[in-house]
Amino acid sequence: MGIQQSGDRAFSEILGLRDEIGDIQSAIADFEVGKKVNVAIIAGLLGGKTTLINEIEKLNLNRATRITFSGIIRDKEEISLPEDTMRVVLLDNCHFLYTRKPGGFDILYEFLDMISSQDRVFVTTWNLYSWKYLNGAFEIGKYFPVQILIPSLEKEGIRSLILKRYEEGEIIFNNGGESEKEPVIYIIPYPLELASLGRKIIIPVPKINIPYLKRRFLKEEEKGKKKEEETAEYRVFEKIHLESKGNPGVAVKVWELGLHYPHISPEKIGQFSYDIKLEYDEAFILHLILSYQGLKKDEIADMIGSTLRVNETIFRLLNQELIFKLEDDSFRVRPEALRSVIAYLEKLRLVW
Amino acid sequence: MVDGINGETGREQLLEALRSIEMQTLIDLILIVITAYILGRIVTVVLSKLSENMSREGRIKVKMIIPAIRFVFYAIAFYNILMEIFSIFGPELFLLTGLLGAAIGFGVKDLFADFIGGIVITFEKPYQIGDKINIGNYYGEVRDIGLRATKLITPDDNTVTAPNSLIFNEAIASGNYGVSEMMVVIDLYIAGESDVKTAMRILRETVVSSKYIYVSEKRPVILLHKAFPFYTRLRAKAYVNDLRDEFEFESDVHTKAWIEFQKKNIRAPQLHILNIPPVGDEYESDRATRRNVGSDQRTGTGSESDSDSRKSFEL
Repeated sequence: MGIQQSGDRAFSEILGLRDEIGDIQSAIADFEVGKKVNVAIIAGLLGGKTTLINEIEKLNLNRATRITFSGIIRDKEEISLPEDTMRVVLLDNCHFLYTRKPGGFDILYEFLDMISSQDRVFVTTWNLYSWKYLNGAFEIGKYFPVQILIPSLEKEGIRSLILKRYEEGEIIFNNGGESEKEPVIYIIPYPLELASLGRKIIIPVPKINIPYLKRRFLKEEEKGKKKEEETAEYRVFEKIHLESKGNPGVAVKVWELGLHYPHISPEKIGQFSYDIKLEYDEAFILHLILSYQGLKKDEIADMIGSTLRVNETIFRLLNQELIFKLEDDSFRVRPEALRSVIAYLEKLRLVW
Repeated sequence: MVDGINGETGREQLLEALRSIEMQTLIDLILIVITAYILGRIVTVVLSKLSENMSREGRIKVKMIIPAIRFVFYAIAFYNILMEIFSIFGPELFLLTGLLGAAIGFGVKDLFADFIGGIVITFEKPYQIGDKINIGNYYGEVRDIGLRATKLITPDDNTVTAPNSLIFNEAIASGNYGVSEMMVVIDLYIAGESDVKTAMRILRETVVSSKYIYVSEKRPVILLHKAFPFYTRLRAKAYVNDLRDEFEFESDVHTKAWIEFQKKNIRAPQLHILNIPPVGDEYESDRATRRNVGSDQRTGTGSESDSDSRKSFEL
């Protein structure tokens, strides 16, 4: 996926996941001395799990085999490992190993048998909601003694992630012509997700302009950057951080939508709130798309049992701009709609 | 003799006090009652409407506070009425309470018991608005808890008004007790010679893949199997996401499970083994509104295949 890949390169450089990488590496080291462990890396959509497993792959280049699942697996042969498979097996997108229907869990049983019986260490990635579901239904957590939940990025992490993609000074931050003078206090629209109402609402919150006050009263040295630009940059990333809730993929998307290359201003950073109205069946399909990260029509129809119903629902979801279609014909939740979709599905308790 | 004179005087004083009640005071008393009732209704309607637009968890939480708020209104009204009465009768109030006691003892004791029941329900919370309960002979979702009676909506959409005093004499079972999810017990009956292991696997997969299920580490799916002489009972205990989908959940599981059973050649028990004619179909709504004798009765609806299996159960 474009967004994730564009962010990946930079993200892997800054990561900020040293503890998580350390845990995975020590699990691999434990395996080398005879302890049987498996690792589950868990994150929401665009949460950075593929980036983390890429990093693990780099660190274990000579002893790891990597397999990536890109659609629902229906054939057991697809998960059988070739003989030359190394002792460290990296499996990306393991949420594709089941189909949510009666008779749709055979691959998962086979997979769980494989990872518990083979003399290899399996480092796997899972979508957060699929993981919670499978752990509740089949207790898959007990097959993975090491579980890594990828944390949200801090504001500085998001800033580094985005700016690493550009040369120094390439992006020009400005206040969008709103006012020439820097404000001491400014209003920031604070996005608040209310699961009880199933909506994301935006509340204006007054904030003190800290960079400006620092310069003004602490007389901090300028570091080759214009004062106004520094404040604008601070506010841009503050808004992106609030909007993305520290999700790297969403942050990159919000940035891309607000960027008028090479200019960007805080006012151009969008605030996305969707008033979602769906029937329960439609919400269930949306939940499937979120849990699998991406699904094709035939895969959804296989689970729902009705192609007609799927067509209707996909139309409704596209119409409400909650999902989009990828080149491989799979549907995904729009990054900018992600928080609204989660709040809505939490309201219905389809995700928790 | 002195007592007789005193008693006579007391009655005269009471009558005098009753005659002295002004029309305005009566109107005030009536207005207090009406105001408390109207405020109670407004709170009920507004909060109920609000809660229906909220999440399932939020819906129940909001509805839980409705009886308490209404009780506060009634308590304030009662206090004001009491003050008015006290100001009118003064020391003769003791005579009035005697009359009131007699009235409660003979005439409106049931009403009084219902009223006390309403207070107990408000504070002790044996059930709350939004719960699915068995009370008396009925099963349904609690829609309103009044001072005198509790209103239930049965699965057949009948509104049942059950007096609050029932809580003193009847055991009350609440299926969810203030939370959105509720355990549903689903029974399937298969022929004794069936492959139970395969049937159990199908049942588990059918239950966990249903769109109505709520499954987590704290709310797991439990499967049980019991063999009888001519058939086998498979029982799934799972939580439905929203208690209002109880019967849809059960129906969904029955439908999908029997489709899978047929693919694997798992059959329903056959009645002809004992040469006993089939028992007449039991009307679904009868089961749903009949007095509860166990959780099985709360999980009423089923597919055609289920009806077949139920017949054999009633051998």
